[in-house]
Amino acid sequence: MDIIPQLILNSIIAGAIYAMIALGFNLIYGTAKFFDLGYGALTAVGGYAVFYFYKTLGLDLYVSILLGVLIVGVIGFIVYKLVYSPLRKRKSSGMVLLVAALGVLTALQAIIAILFTSQFQTLSQNSSSEQVFNILGGAITQTQLVTLIIGFVIMIVIGLVFRYTLFGKAVKAIGDDEEVSKIVGVNTENIIGWVFFIGSAIGGLAGILIGFDTGIEPTMGLSLLLKGVIACIIGGIGNVYGGVLGAFLLAFIENFGIWHISGEWKDAIAFAVLILFLLFRPHGILRK
Amino acid sequence: MEYIIHISILISIYAILGLSLNLVVGFTGLLSVTQAAFYGIGAYVTAILLTSTGMNFFLALIIGMAITGVCSLAIGFVLSKFKDDYYALGSFGFNVIIYSIFLNWQSLTRGPLGIPGIPRPSLFGFTFSENVWFLALSIVLLILVYFICRFITGSSFGRVLKSIREDEGAISAFGYRTLWYKLAIFVISAMMASIAGSLFASYITFIDPSSFVLSESIFILAIIILGGLANNKGAVIGAACLILLPEILRFVGFPDDIAAQMRQVVYGVILVALMLYRPQGLIGEYRL
Repeated sequence: MDIIPQLILNSIIAGAIYAMIALGFNLIYGTAKFFDLGYGALTAVGGYAVFYFYKTLGLDLYVSILLGVLIVGVIGFIVYKLVYSPLRKRKSSGMVLLVAALGVLTALQAIIAILFTSQFQTLSQNSSSEQVFNILGGAITQTQLVTLIIGFVIMIVIGLVFRYTLFGKAVKAIGDDEEVSKIVGVNTENIIGWVFFIGSAIGGLAGILIGFDTGIEPTMGLSLLLKGVIACIIGGIGNVYGGVLGAFLLAFIENFGIWHISGEWKDAIAFAVLILFLLFRPHGILRK
Repeated sequence: MEYIIHISILISIYAILGLSLNLVVGFTGLLSVTQAAFYGIGAYVTAILLTSTGMNFFLALIIGMAITGVCSLAIGFVLSKFKDDYYALGSFGFNVIIYSIFLNWQSLTRGPLGIPGIPRPSLFGFTFSENVWFLALSIVLLILVYFICRFITGSSFGRVLKSIREDEGAISAFGYRTLWYKLAIFVISAMMASIAGSLFASYITFIDPSSFVLSESIFILAIIILGGLANNKGAVIGAACLILLPEILRFVGFPDDIAAQMRQVVYGVILVALMLYRPQGLIGEYRL
């Protein structure tokens, strides 16, 4: 097996996951304008919800996934209502919201660890029987292919919703100027609540797909989330396509960066890229 | 008794960390989440010098401070280009990068295996091998750091820092080069964290990279947010509260691993609750 095709495929697979995280995060950041780090823990919530329904209760695969995504959405919505919404009403600074989000992240991760232990778990029943496709000399599993497709579908759907529906226009309006949207009669509180629901659900779905591909652990969220944030920033924060572009770019840099060195350096490479972008191109590749 | 001494030593170490971070976050208003990196550099320099050359602890402590100072100068210089949320995000980045270096520079740090057998400090033939004496040493260093912090924050230099926090534009209009002030306090703070690192390394006699992860930085941030920003006593009180809390949970009868997670849940909830109801912490003088 050649190394270069496999590196390219690995980059695309990682890019698809980062892209989904970035899509959900971008949606939330674009409307609510703060770094919702609690979103990281929601990916793990998604993974563990499916673990519970599918493995422990033995429900049907698709029912479990649907329930998992719904639960993550609802939890994202509840967290917004309980924590972020009151803070935003008080016009708290971005730093207060960031610290509160750190608290949410820490608490959610630990609650998952108490309920399900902090062991590494996998969602797929028997990974050895999974179908593996060979493309141009590299291997890609069925789950990874599904992840890639779902990532693109979500990107296209969000793009279309933003462009053609009233809801999408309202979301964009809030992102541009929340006060003015209120004045022209947009129910901002309601819309932002929905944005949190949808954004969290996308993050949860990403967590579920990771669970089927490799596995889940309670602390998986933070590093995933940070990758999503980096992807958004290098692609152009608040821009749907920018986040996806950034995600794939980041994945390629990471995977080719570790060609000759140990894989443990991946996170350091990602953050080095972030800092370089923040220094030299803070608005990312695509402007909003 | 031995147990109370152990807890007291930990409280002094974290109080030093809290005091040092408070200079940057509380007094200067820069949301830095990378203190664990400097704590780690101090710990590693001390550990490596003590185990490989058998140098005196106090000399190693000073060399550790010097090396941390140089690293923090470079990091602080890059971070000074960012503002608010991006500052926090950039500082996450440096914590992850330094952690990766601890983990991957195996010829120097032995990577995930860690460095065992770090000797206790000794001075003029007297070794601080008894924990009581080590506690005395840590308290002396804590008092020293406390008074340095008090001196800094009470001086005219400290007043410039506070005015940077309140309105950077205004103070630079008065002709102060805010960059130098921000860099100076960042380096001072990092060097203090390095003292805590040296103490930690020689107290536990073993270090590995897992003590210096991003969540450790978040924990240090939680200490000063709970105790109160811009208040030196607050940092010490915050450290005492957050170290004692999990111990109380253990006495209530939770098993050890659940108690460890409960500690995370509680301090996550504390962060959220403080942001919602008391953003200045217990006795803070500044709110984010």
